[in-house]
Amino acid sequence: MSIVALESVHKVYPLGRTEVKAVNGVTFSIERGDFISIAGPSGSGKSTILNLIGCIDTPTSGRVLIDGNETGGLTDREITALRHRFIGFIFQSFNLVPVLNVFENIEFPLLLGKETANRKDRAEYVDFLIEAVGLTQWRDHRPNELSGGQRQRVAIARALVTKPQVVLADEPTANLDSKTGNAIIELMKRINRDLSTTFIFSTHDPSIVDIADHVIRLHDGVITEDRRTRDAVPSGAAGK
Amino acid sequence: MKLVLIALRNLNRQKRRTYLLGGAIAFGILIVTLINGFAGSFVINVSENFSQLLAGHLFVSAVERSDDGRERRIVGDEQPILGALEASGVPIVTVTRRSDFSGALFFQGTSVRQNIVGADWTRERFLRDRLVLVDGSFENMLRTGADGRRNGIILTRDIARRLNVEIDDRVVVRMQTVDRQQNVGEFVVAAISFDPGLFGQLSAYADLDYVNELLLVPAGSYQTIGVFIPDIQAIDESAETLYAALTERANVFPRTRGSDDPENPVAALFDSGDDEEWTGTRYRLLTLNDILSEVQQIVLLLNGAALVILLVLFLIIMVGITNTFRMIMFERVKEIGTMRALGMQRRRVLLSFLLEAGFLAIGGIVVGLALAGVVMFFVSRIFMGLDSPIFILLKNGYFTFRLLPVQVAMNSVIVTILTVLAAYVPSRKAAQMRPVDALRA
Ligand SMILES: Nc1ncnc2c1ncn2[C@@H]1O[C@H](COP(=O)(O)OP(=O)(O)OP(=O)(O)O)[C@@H](O)[C@H]1O
Ligand SMILES: [Mg+2]
Repeated sequence: MSIVALESVHKVYPLGRTEVKAVNGVTFSIERGDFISIAGPSGSGKSTILNLIGCIDTPTSGRVLIDGNETGGLTDREITALRHRFIGFIFQSFNLVPVLNVFENIEFPLLLGKETANRKDRAEYVDFLIEAVGLTQWRDHRPNELSGGQRQRVAIARALVTKPQVVLADEPTANLDSKTGNAIIELMKRINRDLSTTFIFSTHDPSIVDIADHVIRLHDGVITEDRRTRDAVPSGAAGK
Repeated sequence: MKLVLIALRNLNRQKRRTYLLGGAIAFGILIVTLINGFAGSFVINVSENFSQLLAGHLFVSAVERSDDGRERRIVGDEQPILGALEASGVPIVTVTRRSDFSGALFFQGTSVRQNIVGADWTRERFLRDRLVLVDGSFENMLRTGADGRRNGIILTRDIARRLNVEIDDRVVVRMQTVDRQQNVGEFVVAAISFDPGLFGQLSAYADLDYVNELLLVPAGSYQTIGVFIPDIQAIDESAETLYAALTERANVFPRTRGSDDPENPVAALFDSGDDEEWTGTRYRLLTLNDILSEVQQIVLLLNGAALVILLVLFLIIMVGITNTFRMIMFERVKEIGTMRALGMQRRRVLLSFLLEAGFLAIGGIVVGLALAGVVMFFVSRIFMGLDSPIFILLKNGYFTFRLLPVQVAMNSVIVTILTVLAAYVPSRKAAQMRPVDALRA
């Protein structure tokens, strides 16, 4: 079963007297453990689709299925819990909580749920992630003391801390220089391999698109290409 | 939970804004606490001061009525009073005996009406603490004249000025005896007292024996017995028990509250207005609270005013808080969106902002109370002088403050609720936002 599936999804925004069809009848599915790129020019609907997958937005029509479950009829409370349990977010402008340090930012999602592991296990896992993204010496610093690349690494660790099935990244490298951006994509790819977490990221940088196993290309809210370049991570860890 | 930490750190983010809002809250609390503190001690100080001028907290006087309907205000037999005092078990510090009359004082062709109180100057030491002399001395009151009488008098400065008298001048008094006969006497001015002029005029003070002589009150008798009890707060309660004990022993006037003539509270002591048919001796029990009932009203008024000030001040402050929180929401909308995306429920978003408002309120309250404490500490150490016009409000010339913990708690709760309420509307709006809209903002 696909981990994420969109079925004839439309998203229409009113614009003055007329309306904008940001997503115009999109159907695709994403397999567990994939490293997916959603590509397309500006205004093509990449962000809108990621928001729909991330359950922070709702479609005008069509269905969004997460892990085989329809999300349409859920209450805000249920949707929020679903996001917390199932999805990690990486934002273009990092979106760290400025009053929390690196450790606290990464730990933050763990404190939002009901079942929280004991403090010690929690701290160990957070520290493991800090090391994995290479920020051990920045552990106690606040975001404003970090560079963009470092901030995005914090965001990646934060997105992973709840062990989500899917991590969504809307243009994660857009605010970084190409070298730092490539390093971030490399890091995401490595985590995708090691933890078999499904990554869905949008970009309009062709060089980054190539790293993906699965490319979905958009134009004016319509899919122009849906191509798997490689099979999903061939590992039992991906589960079924 | 981290929410508390986040709320505190968020407050620390815009220090100037936090200090401004917290300062406004602190200021409100400061003002209201000062008024409450002043009102709390006001009634006690006024009562204490008056109790010393009037020589007691509870007063028993008596009226004798003969068969032909003639009345004399005199305590001829004090046994029922003393017996009732003992039987009632009311704790007593000391008992005073006094007589008084209202007479006309003459000096070189001018005359002034004045209330003259006869006190026992060898025993009533506290009167010396309470009366502030601007001329003469208390020792003059103990001098005896050529005829062996102690006929010194302490006049207020106002009366002395109107009569144009100085120390050792002789003034003639014309008055009525207890039997309504005209009588004339002579006083020697022993001292001149400062009259704060609040709550009616101060009486003139003379020697009890001489006042009794002028009133034609038999030796050993007097007109009013004053009872000091240890706790000024227990006046009403003690009066109840004393009244019950007195009714068992004697004919007693029904208890009435307040004086008909607020200009002269002492007049209540003389009032015998009652049409019932009776003869013999009838006693009357009055308390300081009866006489000073208007003081209690002033205290109620002060505390009421404090509450109104608190509410008005905080309605204004609330507008500021609501606007500030609206601004805070605007600034942090993206953070809110992020947290919501990461799985933070709406109620937690709301809670985190209400916590922030709550901490702001608590911080402001703590600072406000601390400031009030400091102000009270210093103000209560300033000697206002015994001849200060507000002397009757003070304790030996010093301001005192008395705060009920309940009142402080109530103010704090009101302020916290109002602050959180002010933050509620913008906070709820922020919590209700769709995460996608918040993130795009
Ligand atoms: N809230 C909105 N209200 C109105 N129109 C919107 C809204 N959000 C997106 N749109 C429109 O929908 C279309 C798709 O927008 P979207 O943000 O998904 O594009 P994108 O592919 O992410 O572009 P970019 O590469 O610039 O980020 C655009 O034409 C955009 O103007
Ligand atoms: Mg976009």
